[in-house]
Amino acid sequence: MAAYVSMGEAHRRITDYLNRFADAVSYQDGKTLSRLVSVSSDSAVLVSLAEALNTFQDANRLMRQTEKYSQYVDILLPMLRALQSYRLRNLVESYLAFEKASNAFLQEFRNWELAWALEALYVIAYEIRILAEKADIELASIGKTPEKLKGAGSFLMKVFGVLAGKGPKRVGALYVTCQLFKVYFKLGTVHLCRSVIRSIETARIFDFEEFPVRDKVTYMYYTGRLEVYNENFPAADHKLSYALTHCNAQKEANIRMILKYLIPVKLSIGILPKQLLLEKFNLNEYSDVVVALKRGDLRLLRHALQEHEDRFLRSGVYLVLEKLELQVYQRLVKKIYIMQKQKDPSKAHQIKLDVIVKALKWLEIDMDVDEVECIMSILIYRNLMKGYFAHKSKVVVLSKQDPFPKLNGKPVNS
Amino acid sequence: MMNQGESSDASTAVEKHQINDTHQVQSSYFPPNCAVASWSTQGENGVLSTSSYNHDQQVDPNLKTGQDGTNLASVVSTSNSGPANGVQGYSGYAAYPNSDPYGYSSTGYAAYYNHYQQQPSQYQQQPSQYQQQPSQYQQQPSQYQQQPSQYQQQPSQYQPQSNQSYPHHVGAYQNTGAPYQPLSSFQNTGSYAGPASYSSTYYNPGDYQTSGSYTSGNYGTQTNLWHGGQYATYSSHPYPNYTPDSTSAYSSTTAVATSQYQQHYKQWEDYYNQTQTEVSCAPGTENVSVSIASSVTNSVPSGNSGYTASNNQMSAAYTPSWRPEFSSSDLTSVQPVAASGNAPEGYWKHGASSFQNDLPKSVEPHAQKPPDVTPAHESFQNQQTSTFSQGSTALYPASYQVSQIQQSSFQIGPQPSEPLDSRRASKLQIPTNPRIASNLPSSISKPDKDSSMTSTGAKPAYVSVIMQKPNEKVTSYEEDDSMLKPGMFPKSLRGYVERALARCKNDRQKTACQAVLKEVITKATADGTLYTKDWDTEPLFPVPNTDAFNKDDTQLPIPTSVMPKSKSPSRRAKSRWEPISEEKVVDKSANISYGTTKYGGGWNSKQFSGGKMENKDNLGTKFSFSDQRSSSKNFARPAKRQRLGEDLNAGDDGEISSDSDKEQNLTKYYSAAIALADSPEEKKRRENRSKRFDKGHGNQVEKNNLRGKDVGAGKLYARRASAIVPSRTFDESGSRAVEDIDWDALTVKGTCQEIEKRYLRLTSAPDPATVRPEEVLEKALLMVQTSPKNYLYKCDQLKSIRQDLTVQRIRNELTVKVYETHARLAIEVGDLPEYNQCQSQLKTLYGEGITGCHMEFAAYNLLCVMLHSNNNRDLLSAMSRLSANAKKDKAVKHALSVRSAVTSGNYVTFFRLYKTAPNLNTLLMDLYVEKMRYAAVKCMSRSYRPTVPVSYLSQILGFTNALATSESSDEKEVDGVEECIEWLKAHGACLISDSTGETLLDAKASASSLYMPEPEDAVSHGDANLAFLPGKRFSGRLSNSSLGFFRLAAPSSRVNTQLDVDL
Repeated sequence: MAAYVSMGEAHRRITDYLNRFADAVSYQDGKTLSRLVSVSSDSAVLVSLAEALNTFQDANRLMRQTEKYSQYVDILLPMLRALQSYRLRNLVESYLAFEKASNAFLQEFRNWELAWALEALYVIAYEIRILAEKADIELASIGKTPEKLKGAGSFLMKVFGVLAGKGPKRVGALYVTCQLFKVYFKLGTVHLCRSVIRSIETARIFDFEEFPVRDKVTYMYYTGRLEVYNENFPAADHKLSYALTHCNAQKEANIRMILKYLIPVKLSIGILPKQLLLEKFNLNEYSDVVVALKRGDLRLLRHALQEHEDRFLRSGVYLVLEKLELQVYQRLVKKIYIMQKQKDPSKAHQIKLDVIVKALKWLEIDMDVDEVECIMSILIYRNLMKGYFAHKSKVVVLSKQDPFPKLNGKPVNS
Repeated sequence: MMNQGESSDASTAVEKHQINDTHQVQSSYFPPNCAVASWSTQGENGVLSTSSYNHDQQVDPNLKTGQDGTNLASVVSTSNSGPANGVQGYSGYAAYPNSDPYGYSSTGYAAYYNHYQQQPSQYQQQPSQYQQQPSQYQQQPSQYQQQPSQYQQQPSQYQPQSNQSYPHHVGAYQNTGAPYQPLSSFQNTGSYAGPASYSSTYYNPGDYQTSGSYTSGNYGTQTNLWHGGQYATYSSHPYPNYTPDSTSAYSSTTAVATSQYQQHYKQWEDYYNQTQTEVSCAPGTENVSVSIASSVTNSVPSGNSGYTASNNQMSAAYTPSWRPEFSSSDLTSVQPVAASGNAPEGYWKHGASSFQNDLPKSVEPHAQKPPDVTPAHESFQNQQTSTFSQGSTALYPASYQVSQIQQSSFQIGPQPSEPLDSRRASKLQIPTNPRIASNLPSSISKPDKDSSMTSTGAKPAYVSVIMQKPNEKVTSYEEDDSMLKPGMFPKSLRGYVERALARCKNDRQKTACQAVLKEVITKATADGTLYTKDWDTEPLFPVPNTDAFNKDDTQLPIPTSVMPKSKSPSRRAKSRWEPISEEKVVDKSANISYGTTKYGGGWNSKQFSGGKMENKDNLGTKFSFSDQRSSSKNFARPAKRQRLGEDLNAGDDGEISSDSDKEQNLTKYYSAAIALADSPEEKKRRENRSKRFDKGHGNQVEKNNLRGKDVGAGKLYARRASAIVPSRTFDESGSRAVEDIDWDALTVKGTCQEIEKRYLRLTSAPDPATVRPEEVLEKALLMVQTSPKNYLYKCDQLKSIRQDLTVQRIRNELTVKVYETHARLAIEVGDLPEYNQCQSQLKTLYGEGITGCHMEFAAYNLLCVMLHSNNNRDLLSAMSRLSANAKKDKAVKHALSVRSAVTSGNYVTFFRLYKTAPNLNTLLMDLYVEKMRYAAVKCMSRSYRPTVPVSYLSQILGFTNALATSESSDEKEVDGVEECIEWLKAHGACLISDSTGETLLDAKASASSLYMPEPEDAVSHGDANLAFLPGKRFSGRLSNSSLGFFRLAAPSSRVNTQLDVDL
């Protein structure tokens, strides 16, 4: 890496890069072009180019000498600077230069009728996000406000604007959208996704299915997550399931990411995963939750929530899991009902409040009668139990028909 | 356009120019005398206005009325004339292929006109002039050859325009126009005719004439010439406004004014002369003013005697005039702006700024003198006109091509024969000048500012500055001549020119330097390195021998003519088409020469002005920018402030008075139109200007006359202004941002010892005398905490404390305490908006590591997010931000439990927590109680059968304290049940009584009959802020909450004790 590069060699490498770039544009070779702008990739060409740039400082002059390059000087000059600073680990500098280059590139891209350069644009959209994230880390480490990702977000929005219209370039819109999602989710400004989503979903001129599969999967994943935030479980289930079924089966990491949200969603609509699945994708934080749901073990659920609280809070499923408590109560009452039925079927549908309090106590959960009464009331109200509560006698009177209706894929009433 | 055209025709043009020159010389020579007369009158007018406030004021009313009338007319006319102008201008363009630049300018003018419409006559006139100029310019190449015919043609076009505008303006104009027309018919007649018409409209020819006669006596021929030119320009600009007033006022004032003028302005005149002379002789015009004047006069005579000489001199003189022109253009541009917003102010400001530079030297006094807006205008106009005439001639020769100059000279020539003519001629010249002037003024003003900066603000300094400026201008002019479209020149070039000129010890050297600079710049333009060259680092050429001076002078005309062509075209094209790019170009070129930059600024401004209101800002900012930039380059940052202040003061001295007066008077007139202009920026500018004025006043006695009202406010703003101006400039330049603002300069150190202070939202920079220092604020906080008064009072007091803390940038424990106190009080009365403000401030304060009741407020935050924002993601992030330690805190724990109870709908837990809440958590929960109760009853009515006793409900739902078991609480319990019954009834529940007399909730019946009653006094738009009154929220939203009521009526003892503890 640190090998000394002679001036001539440096000159040759830079000229080579410039040639390749100019050729790629003139041949409309999107693949080559995308390789040339992939700043953060470790391709040997780019690494050696960065070295050459360290040696040969006056690339500017070189570029302006030839008409072939000089028309792309707005792209190439900052691009080279971005490459160089990236290798020097000067990430903020690199980001700034890359953003400049990207803007210039976008300007050019706008003028190209065909979508041949989409691939390169993808790479730029990706790179600018990656660089921004890295630059933000660098900024944060020196105590400055990390704001580059935000800047990348607005650049991507610009890119989206270029792609979102009619025509062959529209195919690329979803990729950019996904990059935007990543930025917004990272920044915690998820509300900004809405406009992009609207533009994607309301555009009738372009069928969603025509987008590339990988983009569709990513898109569904992120919109599914948004639905989880909104606690719109049926929609979340639909989107995440779509993502799961279309996701490349080889990409276990991606599948795991999808499952991380899909499992809580499924749980909240009464569908439990097999233990095998949790183990296969290393989602063991959910296994206790599943067990608690099966057993009606409120203590286990609370324990599981507490144990993984940070993780659940970060991924945003904490509130979803917390709501499983009612299902656990339901399971518990159901168990009591079953036991009473075994003892005396004729009186099984009447459950005394004291019994439930006792059961909870056995689970080391200290609740008084009023609280339990409240829970029972809520269970009935939410249609997790059929029946009524007699206040005077403190008894839950269950319906004789299907006293504990199953959710069957429907969310708990609220 | 012209430049281009000129450039293309450069060789021929030069020849033509020469020819023209000769013609001009002849005509012009004679005219100068006439012009002199006219000048004097103008000067008198300006003087009069300044000297005699009464007159001016009186005039002002007239003017106002006149202006109003004109404005109205202008508005109407503007629409008409504006389009017409534009059309004309365009037509001019169309007619003149080369005219692109000009066309731009003309369009810009048209825009100006539109702006001016408010002051339509002036503007229109100017525009027309401008247009004429452009056309002339365009034609010039050809014109030179066929000048007469072309001119005539142009004039004809212009005339129509002018006529159009004139009608709007007034009959007076027409009258004047008539005289003028003759004038126009006279020599340059063709081209001038247009101008003449303009002039007539502009000038209140009668006035001018009279004034001309006045001045002639007073002023020297030289000055007269200049004045005439200036007047013409001024008249054109101001006249529209002034015409009504000016005529009467002028006539009266002239007499008086002249005397005054002479007295006060002699110096100024000298200045003018100096400037003029300066133009010719770069040397310190100010100091040399007398000499300069003499030189000017000399030049004029010489001009008369020897045209070539006169031409040269004229050019020099013209350069000054150009400056004025610039100023005028600036003014015009400003005016447009002003028209949109505070047209007068804008004008004045611009004019002042530009004028300051130009005028300050000569005009400043005038400007100051004419405190009244109109006076100021007049003075400005005078100055401008003088500058214009000079400038126009000079400029024309250089940049515009000799033909224009010649024309002007021609015009002058006719004028000499007839004073009116000369005036007209000057007017005519002015029109052409205005364009140039517009460019020049901006550039000039900048230089002036710079120079003023360097000189430091005192009038003398200004003068010196002015001198430099004049020199610069001269150089710039000369260069400008070449560069006529100097606007195009990079700032760096300006700086370069400035530096070069700064070395000159006397006028001769300056002129010599200018000549050299011209060469340098021409060369640079020729080989295309003008913009690429790093002028900042370009070594200065050795100071030329003064001997070379003469040569330079003679040489100047030619180079200028050539140079302008090549340079100007590009610049113009850029500026016109792409104002922004132009600006950039200018910026880039920053150091080229002040003149150039100035010019660029002028052009830009014109263009911008064409753009409308924004233009004002742009202009102002541009100007300031350019100044600042140039200054910044030269000076260290600290210097900037000084500069700003100084610039403002110094540069604005002239302007200030005029500005303030103008602002005052004009604002009234234009108030309606100005409404737009009342933007914060505009205000800031005004403040700056007013500040400048104040400073300037100290320095200049004359200013005092003009000042008056604005002086007091000035000082406070000065610092702020200085801080703000740079920031603005930076913003514009883009790369630098807020961090470049020197906050230290804005930080106030309070001196107020009053403990009690009402909150008043600051609309201006804080006054240290009304800001309390930290010690006093501490006392104030204590006072608020212990005060028995109500929340409104406390909120007001706390806000003022917060404000004082903020302006003094105090961020410590006291700050936290204040915000905490306020937040608690806000929670107590349910003032969520105020609470949110405090909370967000506290968040950052805690984030800075300042200690306070962090946990308590973390709990509040949690409760607030969960209960009132209902946003899951916010809640999640708030929860995930809590540290493990925080989760152990009692208050936070409570808040988390509440959250859990709310999400699961567990009303029993919720109301238990409600009873046991620490701190003020209860009060936040209060806001959710109603919802929770309703949900609970709804749930219970669904799940309970057959009945639920109300006593149970009242206990569960927090109407009575379930934990109160003692006998003494029985009474309370009964009250609680009663209240619960009331609440249930209000929500549509069905209540029945059983055999024992206990009230029961009929669950089944209630299940379908429950409803949420509308809040009694809810605000339809739901803006709690608007509905806010202490207690109102509780009584409204929580009307059924006994607790709420209770607290509102009289804060519960618990709350009070808590507060005491917290505090």
